[in-house]
Amino acid sequence: MATQIVMDRTGDTRHEFDPDNAEALARAERRFRELTGAGFTAALRTGPGEVTQIRSFDPTAHETLFYPRLVGG
Amino acid sequence: MIGAVWLRAPARARLHALRELYRRFFGENTPDARGRRLLAEWLSPAQRAQFEQHRYFDVIGCDTGRTYRIHYGTAANVHEIDDDGRAMMGWCFVPSGFLVPGDVMLAQKIALETSETAALALANRFPPATHTEHFYRRPF
Repeated sequence: MATQIVMDRTGDTRHEFDPDNAEALARAERRFRELTGAGFTAALRTGPGEVTQIRSFDPTAHETLFYPRLVGG
Repeated sequence: MIGAVWLRAPARARLHALRELYRRFFGENTPDARGRRLLAEWLSPAQRAQFEQHRYFDVIGCDTGRTYRIHYGTAANVHEIDDDGRAMMGWCFVPSGFLVPGDVMLAQKIALETSETAALALANRFPPATHTEHFYRRPF
């Protein structure tokens, strides 16, 4: 199972999907586009404590994290 | 067996056990606790150890190689530090919306480690002495 983690006021909301299921994968890709289109940043873990940002959907990603647009505080 | 022991326990002890169970269950499922768990999962082992000991952790900016210290909090909690760990400048940038401290800190870590220049471009600077260490050491 793969997971998309979206930060929100509850801490986070997790969307799990089977990457081998074409329909579920399409839903995950649609969610990715909706979130990044709304200003969320998507990030992947590439190693312990190592992260990278992604700008397009990665169907092989085990775990993708989304956080809202950054603003000056 | 457990039920028999439970029935024999004095009422006060049962009440105490129930309170503890309630505290643990709800304490570990609060947004704050979930945010801290997510943060811990994404920190490096060294950052995690530092956070557990000091309630802050250091990150290296991907563009400049500068070191930033991210304190537990949701605003004015990022300091650029020198080689001796002294705060040189405060940088305030946060994810929009109402997020818990763990989420805010994780977004700040990712931003500094993957797009430092862009993050600092939108950040507001503040003098590092705005808050004392005591401010950041409030309990979780």
